[in-house]
Amino acid sequence: MTEQHGFSRRSVLGTLGVLGAAAATGALARPGRATAQTLGMQETLDAGLKRVFGGRPIKDAGGLVKLDVPLIAENGAVVPVSVEVNSPMTPSNYVKHIYIVADKNRIPIVTRVAFAPEAGQAYMGANIRLGETTDVRAIVEQSDGTLLQAKREVKVTVGGCGG
Amino acid sequence: MSDIGKVRVRIPSSIKAGDVVRVRTLVIHPMERIERDAQGKIIDKKYNYITKVTVTYLGKTVVSFDTTQSVSENPFFSFAFKATDPGQLKVAFTDTVGGKYEGTADIKFS
Repeated sequence: MTEQHGFSRRSVLGTLGVLGAAAATGALARPGRATAQTLGMQETLDAGLKRVFGGRPIKDAGGLVKLDVPLIAENGAVVPVSVEVNSPMTPSNYVKHIYIVADKNRIPIVTRVAFAPEAGQAYMGANIRLGETTDVRAIVEQSDGTLLQAKREVKVTVGGCGG
Repeated sequence: MSDIGKVRVRIPSSIKAGDVVRVRTLVIHPMERIERDAQGKIIDKKYNYITKVTVTYLGKTVVSFDTTQSVSENPFFSFAFKATDPGQLKVAFTDTVGGKYEGTADIKFS
């Protein structure tokens, strides 16, 4: 009976296999989109921090992390931010990541910078967008997993995010 | 917007071996921000923005940036690296529509 209907066990399995392969390649064909999703998501600050750091405690950095942002940004579309971390940058003790977080942006996690010990100095600078007056944080992840945070408020005259 | 993908890499004019060098780099790119319609709903389309900046020196990745739409248009980035040997410093940018842009600087000691 089954052969008459054209649904032999073999042909059904074969079709499933082809479909499965197509689904798999379809998923693999868009890795760029997938990586963009992990960072550039519209979310609240708490959700973003929880997703990225998984509720690990974040300590106050004190003098270790130097976060340089303007006190008043006239144009929120271009706000220069720079971060310098006092770290020996040896293979056993170096800064792994610096995250720039703007609390009230719709995409709060602005950028993540990854360092190799060869960088010699944990320093980064970038121009970011700020939607409104907000705290800007630099969260530093060291090679042993410790999280340090420095925070400064930036007053924004004209918002620059739109999104 | 024919200038998309123009990359500038600026290094100090004189570098000594072993110096920690600060580099500034700039790329011409629109970094499209999310658009909304009159109801405030996000318009679903593929936004063109840079997601990855990779800095390679002597064939090794030294610093890499993962960026989002919260980064400004025509973004500027700066970073530091330790100049140990003469060679090429390469900065590569990747955006969401498959664009790849590169800038290089030759590291020479004076």
